[in-house]
Amino acid sequence: MKTLTQEKISRYALSAGDSNPLHTDPQFAAATRFGGTVAHGMLLLAYLSEMMTAAFGQRWLSGGRLKVRFRAPARPGDTVTADGHVTSSEGGRTLCDVECRNQTGEVLVSGEAEVTV
Amino acid sequence: MPATLETLPKGHEFPPTTFDLTREWVDEYIRAVEDEAIAGLGADVVPPMAIAALSIRALLDHAGLPPAAVHLGQELDFQGAARVGDRLLARARIASRGERQGWVLMGVEMSVQDGAGDPLMTGRATVTFPLQPGSAP
Repeated sequence: MKTLTQEKISRYALSAGDSNPLHTDPQFAAATRFGGTVAHGMLLLAYLSEMMTAAFGQRWLSGGRLKVRFRAPARPGDTVTADGHVTSSEGGRTLCDVECRNQTGEVLVSGEAEVTV
Repeated sequence: MPATLETLPKGHEFPPTTFDLTREWVDEYIRAVEDEAIAGLGADVVPPMAIAALSIRALLDHAGLPPAAVHLGQELDFQGAARVGDRLLARARIASRGERQGWVLMGVEMSVQDGAGDPLMTGRATVTFPLQPGSAP
């Protein structure tokens, strides 16, 4: 579980080299359809990847696959929980449904991950 | 000044971009994403999503995103683990581009390989942004 802040989003922007004002400029973002800054989708995917790394270790780094859709924006102040469960495991491949939700249960990201085991 | 993504057509290939995975940058990335799992695999192991982030950075180095761009979806395929000190080569191309109801829907394919030419990651990002006058067809 991670609690997003504008400081964390801005820190990610610097690290990733993605300073789109939608993420970093509250005044600009307030005038968009989002009404305020939102976290980078790739920051949420980093949370999913941390979960997959904890579950599958090296196999996630060499042989992992991820396919997701961004469903809703994650905003400063949101608490983001990454979750996943195995849906099938056969033929050396393990499939998982994965998602990130905010503190109200709203799905922010959802999709499927696959790992060679 | 780099072009913006909205002006580029389907099939456009971005110049390959090289990144050095310095200890400083990797540590800063891990702090930024609060990854507490990666250290368990070794001090020099780089989170795979850091490689994905760099592949997008390679794209942004050559084409600015329209300010109202939205990341709709992402596909990633990790083929190998990168380590601190590795030199990476990232490539990207616009694989698809469509327009609908005043919005552009664009698919960008990305790939990253290590210094030996071995593949580390491939992926595809789907983004959308408002259609502007003068945008590529």
